[in-house]
Order: sequence, then structure tokens, then C-alpha cells
Amino acid sequence: MFSESVLRLLTEDLLVRVLEKLGSDADRKSWRLVCKEFLRIESLTRRKVRILRIEFLLGLLQTYCNIETLDLSVCPRIDDGAVSVMLSHGSLNWTKGLRRLVLCRATGLGYRGLGQLIRACPLLEAVDVSHCWVFGDREAAALSYATRLKELKMDKCLGVTDVGLASIAVGCSNLKSLSLKWCFEISNLGIDLLCKKCLDLEILDISYLKLTSESLKSIASLSKLEMLVMVGCSFVDDVGLRFLEKGCPHLKAIDVSRCDFVSSSALTSLVSGRSSLLQIDARYCFLELSFPLVECLKNLQNLTVIRIDAVQVSDLALQIIGTSCKSLLEIGLSKCIGVTNMGIMQLVSGCESCPHLICLMLESCDMVTEKSFYDLGSRCLLLEELDLTECSGINDRALKYLSRCSGLLTLKLGLCTNISDVGLAYIGCNFPKLAEIDLYRCVCIGDDGLAALASGCKELIKLNVSYCNRITDRGMEYISYLGELSELEMRGLVNITGMGISKVAVNCRRLADLDLKHCEKIGDPGCWAIAFYAHNLRQINLSYCAVSDVVLYLLMGKLKRLQEVKLVNVSEATVRGLELGLRASCGRIKKVKLQTSLSLLLSSEILDMLHLRGCKIRWD
Amino acid sequence: MQHSNQQRCEDPSMSDYGIRMETLFKECNQACGTKSLLPCGSNDGIKIPNQENCQMGDTSQTGKLQDWDPSIMLENLSFLEDKIHQIRGLLHLIANKKGQQLGQPDEIITQEKQLITANLTSIIVQLISTAGSLLPSVKLAASNTSPSVGQHGQIPGITFPSGLGPSSSSIQPQHDIRDKISDQSNQIDLTNMCEMEQNHMEEHELKDEEDGDEGENLPPGSFEILQLEKEEILAPHTHFCTICGKGFKRDANLRMHMRGHGDEYKTPEALAKPNKESESEPKLIKRYSCPYPGCKRNKDHKKFQPLKTILCVKNHYKRTHCDKSYICSRCHTKKFSVMADLKTHEKHCGKDKWLCSCGTTFSRKDKLFGHIALFQGHTPAIPLDESKAPVGQADMEITENNNNNNNNKGGSINLSFGSNASSCENGIQNMMNVKGITDDPISYLSSLNFETCNFGEFNDFPRPPFEDTTKGSFPFLMSESFNYSPKCGGESCPNNLL
Repeated sequence: MFSESVLRLLTEDLLVRVLEKLGSDADRKSWRLVCKEFLRIESLTRRKVRILRIEFLLGLLQTYCNIETLDLSVCPRIDDGAVSVMLSHGSLNWTKGLRRLVLCRATGLGYRGLGQLIRACPLLEAVDVSHCWVFGDREAAALSYATRLKELKMDKCLGVTDVGLASIAVGCSNLKSLSLKWCFEISNLGIDLLCKKCLDLEILDISYLKLTSESLKSIASLSKLEMLVMVGCSFVDDVGLRFLEKGCPHLKAIDVSRCDFVSSSALTSLVSGRSSLLQIDARYCFLELSFPLVECLKNLQNLTVIRIDAVQVSDLALQIIGTSCKSLLEIGLSKCIGVTNMGIMQLVSGCESCPHLICLMLESCDMVTEKSFYDLGSRCLLLEELDLTECSGINDRALKYLSRCSGLLTLKLGLCTNISDVGLAYIGCNFPKLAEIDLYRCVCIGDDGLAALASGCKELIKLNVSYCNRITDRGMEYISYLGELSELEMRGLVNITGMGISKVAVNCRRLADLDLKHCEKIGDPGCWAIAFYAHNLRQINLSYCAVSDVVLYLLMGKLKRLQEVKLVNVSEATVRGLELGLRASCGRIKKVKLQTSLSLLLSSEILDMLHLRGCKIRWD
Repeated sequence: MQHSNQQRCEDPSMSDYGIRMETLFKECNQACGTKSLLPCGSNDGIKIPNQENCQMGDTSQTGKLQDWDPSIMLENLSFLEDKIHQIRGLLHLIANKKGQQLGQPDEIITQEKQLITANLTSIIVQLISTAGSLLPSVKLAASNTSPSVGQHGQIPGITFPSGLGPSSSSIQPQHDIRDKISDQSNQIDLTNMCEMEQNHMEEHELKDEEDGDEGENLPPGSFEILQLEKEEILAPHTHFCTICGKGFKRDANLRMHMRGHGDEYKTPEALAKPNKESESEPKLIKRYSCPYPGCKRNKDHKKFQPLKTILCVKNHYKRTHCDKSYICSRCHTKKFSVMADLKTHEKHCGKDKWLCSCGTTFSRKDKLFGHIALFQGHTPAIPLDESKAPVGQADMEITENNNNNNNNKGGSINLSFGSNASSCENGIQNMMNVKGITDDPISYLSSLNFETCNFGEFNDFPRPPFEDTTKGSFPFLMSESFNYSPKCGGESCPNNLL
């Protein structure tokens, strides 16, 4: 009665407005649970659906008929059959407004299903088919039916050649953003045609393609291009950059990382005239940061991102960057030689320098110690991401200095062996928003540190405690308090038994990715618990674990979301058991890693079947 | 040279003329094809006066269709562009003029009108004929309508009463003149006329075409003209052993053979290349004439262009005036009359795997991509099966198999393309039937039945955009021509059988 009277005051309009203010998924979930009216409002206004299980696919599509984004990337069993069922059951209202389709890793899908889906959605503007390694030209041709397509991501579609790219270039001439990363078959010809047909391209990713400077000549003709990512284009040289220098007047971001034949001077002359440049990536490119390049960085006042991993830098260079590029949000100095405390201090503590810094990558800068962290912690208060992997100079005190950066989301402390439970206590106290922490081989930490972490960082989604050998089942219990935890990597925790992992499996309901490699004591009881409780598990690594046939079969059969399994040297499991397990999960599973010796022992029938359903087998 | 009847369009008026001629030629061809099908097809051995001519017409058409060439297509299109440009300029001019002086006499206005319509019609004709070279169905339709408009467009800038007079009235006299000039006018009938048309046209095209030996330009009296007879040209061997009578293609082989007949043939003198010394003496240059009457390479032709060597004569005669009896063993569609041509083709056959959605095949990927970059809406077609033979020409050939048995055979093979080796054997078997036992009415009938029923199948062909099965490689590309095919088959078959 009471709720009804309240509801009478709240019109549909008002409810929608209130709902718009709710950001997080958890809040929205609470909203849905209030009453049917609230649920109805939520389903009408919902714009994005990420399907986790195919069982609910049809129902959810009927409920959420006004969606603009449909994400099937983590949904198992998306294949041609599933698509035709999707399109033939119930009303197709959901297709009417769909603008974005995420089919990342939908390896079971073929060109027929893809074509059907694409044609059913008339307003489609963005499609992500990255990591669909089976995709080839026919799938590309199916994509080309989406004539309104503006954004296409097809990383690692290994079968796509120039022909497929040409179909897309002709069919989707309005493309603004295209990523072709790891589409190894694409050559200069395809890129040339693309640049002739898709004149509106603003973002282009051609990383790791076997292209030469000839392609850059074509790309230079794209007058609207704003971002060019060409990581690992090892055939591109300075000639190519010179083409770019003359073209692409609106270039805002350039990534020449791992382009071995691009010289510092070519990049300098490309960058020098462009004060509007926002982002420079030159990781693993040069041996040292040359003075002319540093000089021309002076003029780039709008620069927000600079990543110059693995070059030799001087304190002076860092000072110049710090004082002149005032808009910097991200600085990547991973594996740079010559990064000192002085350098970092000058980078962050010049007058008002880097006030907005959000992300700082200092992997393997082992000359950096707590001294510079005092400055960092007192000046860069907006810091959200900090990578200190293998910075052996980092200790608990350094973490204490960072305490004012309360907005920290990601902290990587892998191989920082000086960090102890005290450091973790600082982290637990000061970074309530922390979503990701990497404690790989922080061998000094133990259960108490995890207790502090678990009590403070309730939002933790990703946790890596691999090879932190001191952790016991008690520590696992603390970890199990992390309700949001979705990725847990705990390789080589030899003290963990089935009891510990059971707690995690039972309590961390969102756990999707679990790495138990070399956790030898877990055994059948632990895996049993995982099979029965970790329903959301998408990826598991059981290599070098002791799992018997029956439990393996149960695990593979019961976990309906499981899509990636690593089963190298699973002791106690026989070939027959493995086969049974694979058979039980066939259709869902997308990637399996097995030891090479099994390639001859497993029946060819099961291998073929796996391959047919889009499952990739990696032999170790 | 017969392949050159695709027009070169540097000169617009010229090409207009070409179109007119071409369409007329087709018309004639069509007529002669349907008329002569029975005699040609069934009894190959029996000499019918018309047969040779009509066959020649047919083969020339086959050649033309087979050699359909995207570059010519391109030229056609660029010509169209030019033409449209011209009209636009003209219209601008007229519009400006109208602004300046209003009181223009009526006749000038009508003249201008006619000028524009003339130009427009010529564009239409060009368009139809361009499309026609792609789609045989359109081609035939166009040939019925285009002559009148073609003629109209031929004389731009001159006022024509209405431009719709009897279609061939202005051309007919030309035939007569030509027949009088050429002394092989003993057979003045339809087929001859059509052949004349071809020659006529060829000659026009050649005007602005510089072809290797074409540009030789020897003064008329400066060379000696030799003409071999047909039998001589087609003889498999030209060198015969005087002792045992064995024939050889090469003199050298004969000399090698002679060694077996005794020691006197083993001397260096006997084995040496004869006639060496004669080369040192200055002598009259030899040039050759084709024995085929009316051929441009025939010495009686008005614009005679001699052939340089005997080999040239042989190849020319086989290519132009003979059946194409060598069939490519890979694609089963391309036919050649010269073995060397077949060999050359076979070297590249099957490599034309780069295919455009418009049906054009390319042997090189960059050429395909250049093509796609140039044309709006063209996309690369994705080959469905690597082992599939390219069937770019198949659709064109099928439409012709109402013409003669040669094409008939081609058609039947085409229809079974892409299946397997047994079907190709079947096709050859069929050809044998038609060729060898042509007197047997059943075999003839069966071959036709085979053809028509297959057409039906193709007509019902499902055409999803991506067909995975091993039926026709590109059913969706060829559907139009297939749709057309049964009509042509249906028309010609009853005529023949009744």
C-alpha cells in the first residue's frame, strides 16, 4: 500500500530521470529489485546488454528491446545456429535500435550467422569482432553489409586478407575508426584501397601488419585522420614517416612503437610542426631520447600522453617534458634507462607541472626509490594508475608517501620484493577505490597483508598473488571477502589446499578468471568446489594441478560459462578423462592449452570437433 | 586481328560508326546463325557453299565474346564521360546564347535540339553496347534497336529530319559498292554481307591502331606476294621424305630423318641448313597473302595488309578462319585454333583468381584492386573454392550455342563446369557425338536436350550471396545470363528440330 502511494507521485518520467543518475551496476540491480514498475522502467531505458549466458539470451533480448549495445563477447555458444534462433524468436524490436555489436572472441560464429545478424540490424554503427581468429574474407564480406558502420574492430581476424578488407572498404565507406591489428594477411594493396574508399577515417590501427612505407603514402592522403597506430610495423621506415609529415593535417595521435626502422629524427620532423598533437607513442623504438625530439616536445603544449618505453632518458629531458607539456595525463617510462629519483622529481615537481597526471608507468626503473615518491604522492593527487613492476627500490615507505593519491585504481607492484604486509596495510587504508593490484612474487607478503587489503579495498576486481608463497588458506579466506573479485591469479601457492580455494569459489560470485597453475595441494576437493560454486568462471588454468578424471569432467561440464582452459600436465587425469572433459565442454570452449604429447594421444575426432566449433588448441 | 573489332574510342564519331557497324553485324550474324545452324551443326563434313562463311562469322563472334576485355570496357566508359562532357558544354553554350539573344530563328533551335538528342542517343547506344558486351541478353536486345539511333548519332551537328528512317537504308548502298569492288562477290547473300560488315569494321578500327607489322608501310610494288592455298596452310607436315614419304613439320627434323636412309645423307653438306647462300643476294622481299577471300590479309582486299612469314600466314589463317578445336583442359571454356595459343593460355589459366563482383577476372591482385578503386560499388568477390576453374567467360559462351556445333560442345561443357573430371569427359564425349556421328539424329537431339535441361537447372539456381556448395562458382554473378539462356535455347531448338 505504502509503495503504491509513493509510486503514484513518481511518474514514469521522473523514474527515468532518477534512474539516469544511477551509475553502477550494483545500484541498478537494487533498482530492478524494488518492484515490477521499476524493473519495467529499467528495462525500457537500458541501452546496453552484456550477455553472460546463452540460456538467458532470448529472454533478455525480449526484455531489453531498446538497447543500443549488445555485447556477446563473453557469452559462450554464439554460433550461426544461435544467431538464427535469436532472429527467429519473439519480436525483433531489439534489432531496430542496435548501434553497437560486440562479438569479440565469438569464434563459433561463421559468415552466415554474422551476415544474418548484421543485416537484421539496420542502424548498426560499431562492430567489434576482434580475436575472432577464424574470421576470413567471407566474414569480412558479411561485415560489409553494415553500410552505416563507423567503427570496426577486427584485431586478430587471422584469415582476413586484402580481399576482405576491400569488401569492407567498399561496403562501409563511412568508416571512421578501423583496427586491423594482427590481421597479418593484409598488405599495402588493401591499405591503399581502404584509403581511397574510406575517406572519413579518423582512427586507424595497422599494428603488426607487414606493410611498407608505401602504405603510409596512401594513409597520408586521409585528410581526416586523427590517430594512427602502427605498432610493430617493422618494414616501415623514415620514408613512410616523411609521407605522413606531408599529409594527415589533423593528426592528433601517433604510435610508432616497435617500428625498428623509424628513426628519432623522422619522428621529430613529423611531430615538430604539429602543436595539436595529443599523443605520442614511441615504445621500444629508439635507443635514446634525442635532444631534437625533446626540443620539439617543448612546443607540444596539448600533449596528453607520451610513452617512450625502453629509451635512455636524462634528468634534463624529463625536466623539459615536465615543465613544457602541462596537459600530460599519462607518462610511460617503462624500462627506460636513466630514470632517477631526480628525474622523476623534476618531471612532477617543476612549477605546476603535470598537475593532471593520471597514469605513470615506471616498470623496471629500479633507480627510483621512495625519495621521489614523496614528491609524486604530494603533487600528482589525481593519479589513478601506477605501474611499479620490478622497481626494486620501492618499499613500504614509498607506498605510505602515495597515501594522498586516494583515487588510485590500478597498482602494479609485481616483483617489488621489498613490499611487506605493512605496505599492503597502507594500500588497504588509503586506496578504497583500488580495482586492480598486482603483487606477483612479492614474496614478503602474507596472510595479514591480504587481510588489510581485503578490508580496505572492497572494490578490488583483479588480484595477482602468484608465487607469494607465504599465503595460506587463511589468506584465501580474506580474499574470499572481496565480493567484486573477478580475476584471481594465484600461481604457485603451494600452501593453499582445497579448503582455501573452496572459500573463494563459494564467496567470490563474480570470479571469472582463475589461475591455479602449480597450486599442487588444491586437488580434487578444491576443483570440486569450483565446479559447483564458481558458476561465472570463464577462464581457468589448472596446469600442474592434481585433478582426477571425474572432477575434471564435472568441472568442464558444470561450468556453463567456461571458455578457456589450460590443462598442461594435469596429473592424475588420463587421456580418456581429458577427452571426456573436452567433449563435455565442446561448443562452449574457445581455447584449450594442452601439452604437446597429447596431440597424438587424443582422438582426431575430438580435435576436429573442437576446431569446427571455433576452439583453438594451443600445444605447450 | 579479328579480335580488334572492339572499338577504340579516341574519335567519337568514329566509334559511333563502329557501334553501328557492330550492331548491324550482330544482327546479320544472328540471322545467319539461326539459319545455318542445322547444316553447320549436324553435317560438318558436307560442303555447303554458305557454311564456311557462316562459320567464320560465328567464330569471329565467339572470339569477340571470349576476348571481352575490361580495358576496352574502360575505354568505352571514358568515351561516355567525354561525350557527356561535350553535351554539357553544348548545353551551357546554348543556355548562354539564349541569355544573350532571344530572337533566334526556330530552325536553329530545332537544330540544336536535334544535335543534343543525337548526342544523347549516341550515348545511349554506347551504353547499351558496352553493357551488351557484358550481358549477352542485353546485347541481342540492343542489336534490334540500336541501328537507327546509332545512325542518328553518327552525324552529330547535322540536322536530320526525324532520325528514324529505315534502319539500314544508308548503309545498304555501301554494301553494294563494297561488293562491286571486291572480286569475290560471287556469293552475295546474307552471310557474305555480314562477313563484309566485319571486314569493313575491322578496317575502320585499324585506322588508328598501330600494330607491329601493320606499320611496316611497304610501297605496293616493293615486295613479292605469295599466296599459299588453304590445304597447304593446314597441312600438318610441310616437309616430306622423298624416300619413305614420311612428313615433318620442320626441315631440320627431315634432315635428321634422312640420315637413316643412307650414308650420303650424313655428310655435313646434306645436314646443313639449305638456302644459306641465297640470303646474301639482294632479293625481293617476300610477303604473304591469306587465301581467304574478303580477308583483309587477302591480296585482293582494298586495304590489303600482307603477312610477313609463312608462320604468320598459318597462325592467321587458323586463328581467323578456322574452328577453334583446342580446348583448355583446365577451364574447358577457352578455345583456340593454334596450339601455341592454348599452351600460352593454359600457363595462366586458373590463375585468374582475382574476381570482381562485376564478374571481371584478373590474373593479378593489384589489377583487381586498381579496378575496384576505380569503380564505385565494385567489390572483390570471394572465391568459394580454390580448385574451381575461372568461369568468367562461361556465361558468355552459353548464349552462343545456338550458333554452331563447336559452341554447342562448348556450352555443354560449360554447363557442367566445376563438377569434376567425369563431367568434362562427358562433355568431350558429347562433342564427339555431335562431331562424329552427326548423321544420327538421336545423338544430336540428345546433346540439345542435355543443354536445355541444364539451362532449366541453372534457372532455378538458388542464389544466396555466399554459396558454399560446389555448384557453380559464382551463381549470383551469372544468374542474369543464365536467366537469359533458356530463352535463346528455347527459341533455337525447336527451329532446328522441326
